[in-house]
Amino acid sequence: MSGDSRLGRVVNTIEEGLIALLFAAMTLVTFSQVVARYVFNSGAVWALELTTYLFAWMVLIGISYGVKVNAHLGVDAFVRLFDSRKQRIFALVAVAAGLAYAGILFTGSWEYVGKLYKIGIEAEDIEIPRWIPMSALPIGLSLLFFRFAQAGWMIVTGRKSGLLIGDEAQDTIRQHLEQMRQENEAGKVDSASNNSSDSDGGAPPR
Amino acid sequence: MTIAFLFIALFGLLLIGVPIAVSLGLASALTIMLFSNDSLASIALKFFETMEHYTLLAIPFFILSSAFLSTGGVARRLIRFATALVGHMHGGLAMASVLACMFFAAVSGSSPATVVAIGSIVIAGMVKAGYTKEFAAGVICNSGTLGILIPPSIVMVVYAAATDSSVGRLFMAGVIPGLIAGLMLMIGIYVAARYLKLPRQPRAAFGEIWESLKDAIWGLMLIVVIMGGIYGGIFTPTEAAAVAAVYAFAVSLFVYRDMGPLKTRAADPDVPFIGRFAKGCVESILYLPAGMVHEDTRKVLLDAGKMTIMLLFIIGNAMLFAHVLTTERIPHAITETIISAGFEPWMFLIIVNIILLIAGNFMEPSAILLIMAPILFPIAVKLGIDPIHLGIIMVVNMEIGLITPPVGLNLFVTSGITGMSILQVVKAAFPWLMILLVFLVLVTYVPTISTFLPDLVFGKAIS
Repeated sequence: MSGDSRLGRVVNTIEEGLIALLFAAMTLVTFSQVVARYVFNSGAVWALELTTYLFAWMVLIGISYGVKVNAHLGVDAFVRLFDSRKQRIFALVAVAAGLAYAGILFTGSWEYVGKLYKIGIEAEDIEIPRWIPMSALPIGLSLLFFRFAQAGWMIVTGRKSGLLIGDEAQDTIRQHLEQMRQENEAGKVDSASNNSSDSDGGAPPR
Repeated sequence: MTIAFLFIALFGLLLIGVPIAVSLGLASALTIMLFSNDSLASIALKFFETMEHYTLLAIPFFILSSAFLSTGGVARRLIRFATALVGHMHGGLAMASVLACMFFAAVSGSSPATVVAIGSIVIAGMVKAGYTKEFAAGVICNSGTLGILIPPSIVMVVYAAATDSSVGRLFMAGVIPGLIAGLMLMIGIYVAARYLKLPRQPRAAFGEIWESLKDAIWGLMLIVVIMGGIYGGIFTPTEAAAVAAVYAFAVSLFVYRDMGPLKTRAADPDVPFIGRFAKGCVESILYLPAGMVHEDTRKVLLDAGKMTIMLLFIIGNAMLFAHVLTTERIPHAITETIISAGFEPWMFLIIVNIILLIAGNFMEPSAILLIMAPILFPIAVKLGIDPIHLGIIMVVNMEIGLITPPVGLNLFVTSGITGMSILQVVKAAFPWLMILLVFLVLVTYVPTISTFLPDLVFGKAIS
């Protein structure tokens, strides 16, 4: 993985922090609107637009991160029929498709955001020019292009086998399970000491 | 010609292992570039607009609340309650797992999340109690699909967005089918248990039922928050989802304390309830800032974020694909053909099921819904089929798609939590899949199952 180097780790922290932060922010903005409406009988017109922009930024920045950590879903049943050499060729073709996709959409979004910039349209409820939030598109797509290129290079050099959720995903689930097991055991110790609930759902009730 | 290119490009890309989202997007973009006058800029805008769709905004929040619930020990408490209720019957633990999946489905909107949350605990427990691993995995893999049928449901949100239906109506429509499907699975287990002589648990004392209910009530309250909130007109489905996420955060960190800064500080049960409650409130306020930036919270946010990003990337590109279909007037052409061929509703529904079952093998549910709903919806309306009924049929098909290879998310997840190979999981899930197929026929040809409750609550739909 690219997170091995020092720079890689820093970038990783920034990406993950940004995703978590944007997600938390959009949740809190929406939640606060409900509270504002019922408790203070008021609300902000710009809240919804802000939420959608936070959402768009999270998704668009996150797509490239998803390529890096192999979080994207696909069909590998056909490709698996071949030996690993041919699989690598398929993977490279898939990378080429990814690059084409990112390139095409980047061109389109660059055009669009460029036009918005020239005309200077404002966003609907927030007083900023609309090209600012929309620039998530070209930024996200150029990052995506970069990550696909990087994945391609890693496949060539044999440090990555493909683009899809595969063994990596199962590793994550195993990690998750390992963690849950530890937590359950910790929970057992707790429950023994304070007589709270039985933590192992599989055990018969007493 | 255009349409042939679109679909051939899509399937070609999927086959060689291009991610689903990229396949959808690239096939659409190429088609537009080659055959249409639309600019690339309009494609980019279309993609961005997905994130501005108000109904779809419910999806990230439902994913987030599921993530808090599955890491926050809510699953464990629901399982304990379910076991106390039905554990004493033949195959009790397996039935309890189905019931726990139903409970979890009623607070979460995702099927794989249900499998992970419930399955990672009960499968080990069932094996310990003398069930085979295959039996346990098969049961969980199937009952986990109830996650998208019992409201709230992410897939229903997508259907509502694709057809401009009411999310509230759809959620309501999923209740009775969800209960029936759960019941059918439990009956199946009971029969199998009698036949295979599977173990039963000692009958739980009434005290245990009460205690486990009291313990699980904070999780179960989420049903009231979501459904009550939507039907009471207190908030929109999207807001309900956001409230659910915040509620799940609060319950996991401050009430159950399975994660976050108060993890090691469980409440002292000897103190009377009022005292514990007051202390809990004070602690919650004191630790709120710490809880929000705590490592566990960040991890849940990141996990839910990854899931959301993956899903929205697919949905955004499926929107592009659907856009190309519509501009090519494909839905219109198909509707004309079907209507002029004189199809009866029941014949049409057979075709719908077959197409969806096949599509379910290769694609992600949200993508199928976004592509197929605009095609099927106008035909259904012309044939006098209730759109809500069609929605439930599609959701049940998607459930089955989740447990059929090669692309079945539940299969991946079950294989991940059991360490079994995908093929073994497919075999293990197969017998129970038959029950779901029978259920599909039932839902397809008895529309009342789906439409009774929404009609009762909201009044008959004006068609």
